[in-house]
Amino acid sequence: MSELPKEARDLDRGILAFIQKGADHHDIEEFNNLALRTFEFQYNHIPLYQRYCQRRGITPQELSSWDQIPPLPTDVFKSTELFTLPSHIARTFMTSGTTMPNEKGRVHYDEGGLRLMDATIFAAASAFLVPDGVKTLILIIAPPPGIAPHMVMAYGMDRLKDCFGLPQSHFLVGRKGFQVKDLVNELHTSEEKGIPVTICGGSFGFVNFFDYCRKKRLKFQLPRGSRCLDAGGFKGKSREVGRGEFLDYCEEFLMITRNFCINLLGMTEIASQFYDNTLRNFTRGVDAPSFKVNPPWTRTLVVNPETLEPLPPGEIGLLRHFDLANRGHICAIQTDDLGKMVEGGFEIYGRARESEAKGCSLTIDEMTRAMEE
Amino acid sequence: MMEVIEAAGYYLPQGFEEHVKAFTTEVYQDREIAVHLKAPSVSGAMVEVLADHLKKEREKYLAHQPIERIIDVLDEASRRWLDKSYPYRELALKTIPVITGFSREVVEASIDAEMESSLREDIWRALRSEIKNPLYLDDFQYSPELDGYCRAFGPKLIVSFFSENIPGLPHLLFMRSALVKAACLGKVAAGEPIFAPLYLRTIEEIDPGMANCMAVLYWRGGEQEIEEAAFNQADAAILFGGVEACNSLTKRIPRGIRVLVHGHKLGFGVIGRKRLRHQGLEDLVAAVAYDCSMFDQQACLAPHGYYLEEGGEVSPQEFAQALSTAMAGMNEKMPRGRISPAEAAAINQLRGKYEFKELRGDDVLLVVSPHGTDWTVVYERDPGIFRPSPLNRALWIWGVDDIFRILPAIKPLFPFLQNAAVAIGDEREKEFIRRLGELGVTRITSPGKMLLPSMMWHHDGISPLASLLRWCDVEKKDEIGGMETRER
Repeated sequence: MSELPKEARDLDRGILAFIQKGADHHDIEEFNNLALRTFEFQYNHIPLYQRYCQRRGITPQELSSWDQIPPLPTDVFKSTELFTLPSHIARTFMTSGTTMPNEKGRVHYDEGGLRLMDATIFAAASAFLVPDGVKTLILIIAPPPGIAPHMVMAYGMDRLKDCFGLPQSHFLVGRKGFQVKDLVNELHTSEEKGIPVTICGGSFGFVNFFDYCRKKRLKFQLPRGSRCLDAGGFKGKSREVGRGEFLDYCEEFLMITRNFCINLLGMTEIASQFYDNTLRNFTRGVDAPSFKVNPPWTRTLVVNPETLEPLPPGEIGLLRHFDLANRGHICAIQTDDLGKMVEGGFEIYGRARESEAKGCSLTIDEMTRAMEE
Repeated sequence: MMEVIEAAGYYLPQGFEEHVKAFTTEVYQDREIAVHLKAPSVSGAMVEVLADHLKKEREKYLAHQPIERIIDVLDEASRRWLDKSYPYRELALKTIPVITGFSREVVEASIDAEMESSLREDIWRALRSEIKNPLYLDDFQYSPELDGYCRAFGPKLIVSFFSENIPGLPHLLFMRSALVKAACLGKVAAGEPIFAPLYLRTIEEIDPGMANCMAVLYWRGGEQEIEEAAFNQADAAILFGGVEACNSLTKRIPRGIRVLVHGHKLGFGVIGRKRLRHQGLEDLVAAVAYDCSMFDQQACLAPHGYYLEEGGEVSPQEFAQALSTAMAGMNEKMPRGRISPAEAAAINQLRGKYEFKELRGDDVLLVVSPHGTDWTVVYERDPGIFRPSPLNRALWIWGVDDIFRILPAIKPLFPFLQNAAVAIGDEREKEFIRRLGELGVTRITSPGKMLLPSMMWHHDGISPLASLLRWCDVEKKDEIGGMETRER
């Protein structure tokens, strides 16, 4: 594949350097500067987006702040291809599209965009998943990219495994579904040898595993430093498990305390991920309420569901994310997740549209059910 | 200045309140009005006593009332509600919007529409349509077909579950119960607990004995102990609600109880090319706008979309444009109510998606309200599958080259089919209606009338009154001394 245009390479260099500065700085000016440059790039390279902005009377010349960038509703990806460099597509991720299987959202990445995503995965996980720098055996309740090439979670967890996992780290969902016995064996070994593990996967996959443990009367006492990373929630599932209940199960079945349980918000439409600050606070000895942190290369706004106008901090509305790592498609994404802004991040209350299942959890759920049969 | 209104989310027969151990009050607030809604804490034991009480009151009174008297009471109740100065009407118009989110104008239009179709003549006709001679409900009557005598007996107690927030639906069920001389215990939905209790207070004003056979309570759906207590005393159950809720209830209803289920349904409209003319277009779009705006499209009778045939004088796109003007006008006259963030998000996502389709040059047209999500009209060519609308005044306009081509997309909807507006305007109409009937549609009407079913409608394909009756036939003509036939 030919090299990316110079404009994209220059931009990526700036964004990459910004992400690599880590999660601990507040360079507001540079963020705004990069956001406006990225917007201009997207405006110039995606004609449909350009017209969308023009209809709203917005051009890069007149824009002074990232929060004026017109956001794209997530559903647009289900019907329209929006990509800055269509001849450079290296990878495509898809939403699960459970209500209308033929209407999956498609989000493309070029090589530069993938490098940005990799950088966000590394920087965010360093800060929020392994702030203590502990290497663990990473066990993933999800299919590997080889089986699920379009699942963004599979890609992300594969990166985590390679960057932060001990050599034997691996995926536990194969073509025949969730290899639950494999997980049980690994956890027994971990107990015996004192090797800490990180179990990661979709939230509902965890719940199915807990159900399995209850049925088989299994309880583990995982070594210190072990942790859980669950992604997504329970939307559209047969059963909902509250966060408190979820954390109780982690302690009951795995002996992993709530300080070591981290929830992750990841979306196909957004290259970066939003982690809970739980473990980071614990590591730093900070006693503070838990919320999703906006790493410095992202922003989140809360908007009025009717008018889509921004709401003052503290009010509940729909979450709108800005992500510099979305350079390849659109930085500003309007979700239908309900949430509230807090200082440094946001709280998420779940998807406003309960009728449609979110993210990747359902496919794993189906696989888990297949396992049970 | 905040106005506080005390309202009852229940109705109990006179003298029964002493059996209530505790009341709770929920506060609802919208702008300048706060509604303090009082309701009893319900237990299985209380429902058991109440159900027994209702049956005894029925035995004492309602079971012996002539049908003519019952109809007169119901007619009088409707007339009072149609009177704009009637205090309960004003109370309903003030409080229901606070709880349901519907605008006052929508609630007002719904009360008018429902009460106008619940007058004396409608009731007699509904009875005649289903059981020929309404006097069968009073005593044995001569039946020429049988060449003998027949009498119809209603259930002793009907338990009715409402899960919708549509005002007025429960009142219809209380009317039907009274017509078959059954006591009725209604469980209202949290979404609209006000209208039914007010309606029963009207009945109480006119005929306290009749009102003593009726009660309205609220409890959280799925409370097994309470629901069992109700079912154990009932001999008929009428259920409204979603598929899962109805299935779960049906499983718990003891055998031998007559059950009528009205699950969630969906509607649509069809307009043929002969009817798509410039002349009369304004009236036609106004009619469609009314179908889509009444109850903010939340009733099962409302259309998710209208199929429009291409090749007429007015193209589907032109129709969509004209319709948007009518939607805006309707929103002035009868504003869309409050909706949840989830509902608004769904509409905004749909708009985003179709705006990009439009920008991309697809054959689509998106016309939306200038502010918020008040109304949305989306034209596209028939996608070949029936896409439900996010509702709340978001209407699909599907262009189709031949109206008969929509039938394959309608067929799989069988369990949810109910209401269709049809205006073909040529000789194909009869055949088209026949096909819709075969596919499972249970009501066919004209655009603008989708939300206005008559009392005579076989509701969801069943005879709502006759299905509740048990008959006794006398198949002998000799020795029938004493039986006489009245005519009305």
